[in-house]
Order: sequence, then C-alpha cells, then structure tokens
Amino acid sequence: MKPVIKKMLGSSFVGALASPLSVDDYLGLIDRRLSVSEPRGRVVGVTRQTEDSVTLSIEPNDNWQGHHAGQHILLGVDLDGVRHSRCFSVASASTDKLIEITVKRNGDGRVSNFLVDEAEQGQLVHLSGAEGDFCPDNRPPAKALLLSAGSGITPVMSVLRDWIARDQLPDVVFVHYARSRADMIYAEEIEKLAKRHSSLTVESVFTADGEGRIDDNAIDTKVPDIAEREIWLCGPAGFMDAAEALVTARSDKPLHREQFAATRRDAAHGEGAVHFVKSDVAASGEEGSLLEIAEGAGLNPAYGCRMGICHACKCRVAEGTVRDLRTNRVRDVRDTDIQLCIHAAAGDVAVEL
Amino acid sequence: MSRPTHLTDADVAEFGRELDAIRDEVMNDLGERDARYIHNVLRTQRGSEVAGRALLMAGILPPAWLAGTALLSLSKILENMEIGHNVMHGQWDWMNDPALDSGTYEWDNTCPSSQWKHSHNYMHHTFTNIVDLDRDLGYSVLRMSEDQEWEPRFIVQPGIAMVLAAYFQWGVALHDLEWERIGKDKTWSEVGTQASQIWAKVRKQLLKDYVLFPVLAGPMAPVVLTGNYTANLTRNIWSFMIIFCGHFTDEVEMFDEAEATNETRGQWYLRQLLGSSNLTGSVPFHILSGHLSYQIEHHLYPDMPSHRYREVAPRVKAICERYGLNYNTGPLSSQFGGVVKRILRMSLPHRRKATTLSDRSTVNAPVYAEAA
Repeated sequence: MKPVIKKMLGSSFVGALASPLSVDDYLGLIDRRLSVSEPRGRVVGVTRQTEDSVTLSIEPNDNWQGHHAGQHILLGVDLDGVRHSRCFSVASASTDKLIEITVKRNGDGRVSNFLVDEAEQGQLVHLSGAEGDFCPDNRPPAKALLLSAGSGITPVMSVLRDWIARDQLPDVVFVHYARSRADMIYAEEIEKLAKRHSSLTVESVFTADGEGRIDDNAIDTKVPDIAEREIWLCGPAGFMDAAEALVTARSDKPLHREQFAATRRDAAHGEGAVHFVKSDVAASGEEGSLLEIAEGAGLNPAYGCRMGICHACKCRVAEGTVRDLRTNRVRDVRDTDIQLCIHAAAGDVAVEL
Repeated sequence: MSRPTHLTDADVAEFGRELDAIRDEVMNDLGERDARYIHNVLRTQRGSEVAGRALLMAGILPPAWLAGTALLSLSKILENMEIGHNVMHGQWDWMNDPALDSGTYEWDNTCPSSQWKHSHNYMHHTFTNIVDLDRDLGYSVLRMSEDQEWEPRFIVQPGIAMVLAAYFQWGVALHDLEWERIGKDKTWSEVGTQASQIWAKVRKQLLKDYVLFPVLAGPMAPVVLTGNYTANLTRNIWSFMIIFCGHFTDEVEMFDEAEATNETRGQWYLRQLLGSSNLTGSVPFHILSGHLSYQIEHHLYPDMPSHRYREVAPRVKAICERYGLNYNTGPLSSQFGGVVKRILRMSLPHRRKATTLSDRSTVNAPVYAEAA
C-alpha cells in the first residue's frame, strides 16, 4: 500500500465512513492481508529442509515494523475455522524484507503439525510485532560463541545472518547439537557459510551418531577460548540448563538465552491456583467456577446469567488450563476470552481481571 | 415454573438432556464449514454495502437509486440480524477472531453493543417472556400480555407500534435506559452515563449516513440522503417484524415470576420453547432474519452459530412432538397476523380469563403417551 493511501485510509474521516466497522473489514474484500494497522503476511516460500520441519518465507504487509536479530513473533493461522497463535523465532537477518521462520514438528501441536504437513504458498498469517532481547547490542563482540540444539538454531541463525548481512561477522564458533545430519535444520547453509567466511568455525554434533550430549569435555575441546567469548544460547530446556551451568563455570562474558518452550505444569484435574493478574490477587482454583472464585476473592467481575448464555462474564485468560463445566472438557488456553461462569480451573490459570 | 400437566419432573429432565445432547453434538462439530459460512456472509454484507453506496452516488436515475437503496438495505439487514446480533451472542467466539468477538463487536445500530448485551442477551434471554422481568422491547412500550395491567394509554398502542416499527433502532437504543426504573432503583447519573454512550453511537450513524456520504456525493446529496434514510427505515421495519414474530405470536406463552423461580435446566428449556415461535420460509429468508426465524432454536441455543439452527430444527421439532409439546411455527404472513391481532386485542381493557401454561401447551398428548 502506498504511504499516502495508507495515511488516507487510516484517517479519522475514512474511519467515520466505515464506522462502526473498521476500514480493515472493507479492505478484506480485496485481500485479507491488507490492513491499516495490523501486521499480516502471506507465505511466499515453503522449503522442507528436514523430514519434520518446514521453513516459511513470509511477505509481511507494510504494518510490519521489522525485527532485530534473534527476536520472536506470534504467528496466527486459522485451522478448522479457529485462530491459533504460536510463538516462533525469526530466523532471517533484520535486513531481510521477508520474514523467515522454521517450524519443527512439536508432538501433537496442531499449529506445528499443520505448518509442517500442509503449509503452502499463499497461506495467510497473522503476525505480531517482534519481541525479545536475545541480541540487545547492534555491535558484535570481538569473539562470540553460538551454542544451540534442535530447533533452537533458529534465533541463533538470525544473529549469525545479521552479522554477515551487515558485514560485521566477528570471530564466531558455532556449536550446534542435532540428532543427525539429516535432522539438522540449516545444515547446508551453515556449511556453505563456514567455507566462505574464515572467521566462522562450525562444530556440528550429531547425538545419534554416538557423540554424547553436551559436557565438560565437549566444551573444552570445541571452545578452548570460551572465557573470551560472548555467548548466545538456545535449545530445549534440558540442554539449556546443562549448557548454562557449563559455560557460566568457564566464562563471565555476557550470556544471552532464548527459551520459549513452555514448561508444562502437571497439576491434577480440578486443581491449581488462580491468579487475577490486573488486581494481583491469588486464590485456590479448587472450589467453584472461575467467576465464583473471582467473587470469593473480593473482585467484581461483570456477570449476567451465570449459566453460559449471555457472555457478560467473558474475560481474557492470559494462560492456563480450564475445564468447561458443561462438557468437562479440559483445554489449555492462552490469550483467550472465556466465559468465567462455566469454566473451572484445571491447573494454574492467569485471568486478566 | 409450572409445566404441561402431562410431563413429570423426570420427563422434563429427560427432555432437557435430549436438547443438551443436540447442543453438545453441534458445538463439538464446529469448524471450517462454519467459518466459511460466516466469511461468506461478511463478504456479501460488505460487498453489498460498498456497491449500494456507490450506486447511490450515481443515483440520478431511478433504477440506480432503487438498486443502491436495496443493496444498502440488504447490507444493513445482514449486518444487524445475521452478523451483529449473532456475534454479540458469542456465536462466533470459538473462532478466536478479534473481528468476530462478542466482547468488542460494535454493530451498525444506534444502540451501543454493551447495552444491547445487557438488555437482550441477559435480561431477555434469561428471563424470556416472564412479565415484569423480560425487558424485551414489546413489554416496555406496549401491552403484550394479559398479565400486564391495562392503562388508558394502551388504547393508542396500534399507532405506537407502527411508529416503533419505523424507528425500531431508536426504540432499541433508548430501551436499556429502563426509564420505568429511573428515580426508583436507578439514579439519574447512571442514566446520564448510558445516555452519553447512546449519543456517541447515534452521532456516528447520523454523521456517516446523513452528513459524510451525502456531502461526498456533492450534487447527488439528496439522492444519497434519501437512499440512506430508506435503507435504515427498511432495516427497522424488517427487524421489528421478525423480532415481534419471535415472542408475540398468537400461541406463544407468557410466564410470571413465580413460574420461573428455581427452574431446572429442563424447565428453562421448556420455557424457552413455549415462549418462542418460528417462521417458515426459504434459506435466503432465514439468513435475512438472522435465523431468528428459528427463534425456538435460537432461544434454546443462543450461542450456537445461527446457520446451524436450520440443521437442528427438524430434530428439535421431533423431540417436541415426542413429548407432546407445541412447536409454534408458521409463515411470516400468519405469524405476523397473530402479532397484529395481539397488539390490537391488548390495546383494549377486555381481560380474558387467564389461562395457565398447563392448559395451553399440550398438543398430541396421546402421541406422547404412546411414545412414553
């Protein structure tokens, strides 16, 4: 969209012509990617580098404000009519006009399975602004260690590509743990980059080939000068914990961590703590509906019929596990509006009240 | 509540469970097909609005004015009936799409969505047809039931009903002010807050339909202005007819507060069924009515996506037949005729012997007895 057109469409005059609907509602007649203010994009490239992953190139609309190396975004897709949003690291350099993400199959996760199996060119995606401070400094250090495992390679890849794109590649050792060569995302590109740039040393470790998990020996042989290196670390929780202990014992240079694999709480059915975020009140989730718990905690949430009909008590749940009292169905929700009167806690729940 | 005499408590509970089963089945089945349906409706509504307003700008020729006004009326009817009303019921909340969120959706009506959700979703859908509690519009302006005390002012209610039909959205807008409570349990400052919300909404529609678009049309301003006015008028009359056919037809039941105290879920379903009436017609007719032509199904399942009412209606009807309950339905002409009759009859002080629910709601009891 030309800036002048966007400015016009975003004006209060055009807003008044569209009222009470939004200008976006009408732009959707032309292309659902068009919007006056929301970042949205379309998949323009699909590569399946490994058997259980997919790399997507996304062309964002002009509401996308760009990203810094190592940041992540919320990506929303409609599956079976329902908008699902998940967090992914941007793997591309900040100078790249396209957003690249690589999605690895994640158990029975609906979004990752859909993208890995079915994503194709033209797929509409809803985006958020980029967030995260994995790479807070624009100037690279003299020496760096990039340490990653599995799909944790994606934000690290963004950091590396960014330095190369800006022609600021420092002395980098890149240690990556994967199950096998065939399982390693970006294996080919990294090998090529290592050939082209003498200051980049790549150490790929394939655990299925008999090389062990990360330990003292691995660090000492692969990165003998670790004490001089600023470190970027990303991978599954177990890997992160082990690696962090190893590197902090050897280096007091800055350590940047990126971890967003949610740690699942294993609270039993019908249990959990309810946290009312805005009023900062905590309560036990054992007794009653979320509405009753809120009222019991002295809050005054809006309510109506108290039987799931009128939706007056609908409230956003930031994160948590809830049980629908009508069907007994338990589900994990995140940034979702639910009717408090017909949901109980089935684990820890953070309600925005 | 009291209940049809041929049903035991256990029957009513089982009746409720059967209706629950239909609800669960549909709600678990929502998906791509439903999303496609609402997206088609949204596209049709927005497309017809754009086309309608464009034609009106070129509307010096009568056919362009007629076509433009028709398209804009279609758009306003779809937006209020099939989109706005149903989105605000939470029918599309499961999609998790912010544009279809019952918490934030604002419809093209002078009534603010927040007030509508209180007076309609809560007061009317929870206390359906309970005189004194259900503040559905009929009751606050007109006398629609023998249980409402007759007053001389009701003599002119046929005229008032006609004015209400023409300016229905204004009636709806003012109705959550609950003027009968002002000075009693409602303070003037509460009313002031609501009134300023209404004014904010009114101002936007007036500005859009009667200032901005006419001004944009330049010399065509009068054409656009009359087109916009006619479209709002058409939508008003249409929604008045559909909505009044939902609860004020001839056979529909009214309840008193005592009947609805401590209701079970089955009893609540029963009151929703007996207090509502359907309209028969074609698929486009149902869509234009916002599927309120399936008023019974809508009252049983207010947050079920509307186009599903068409699919579950035969099953609901079959259940009603098995339990020997009246499933009130008919074409618009006869159902609206019943509404007119009721408005006329209630304008007069004549008070018939009040019949109770148990006397009226039974049809085909022998069939039920056999089934049981």
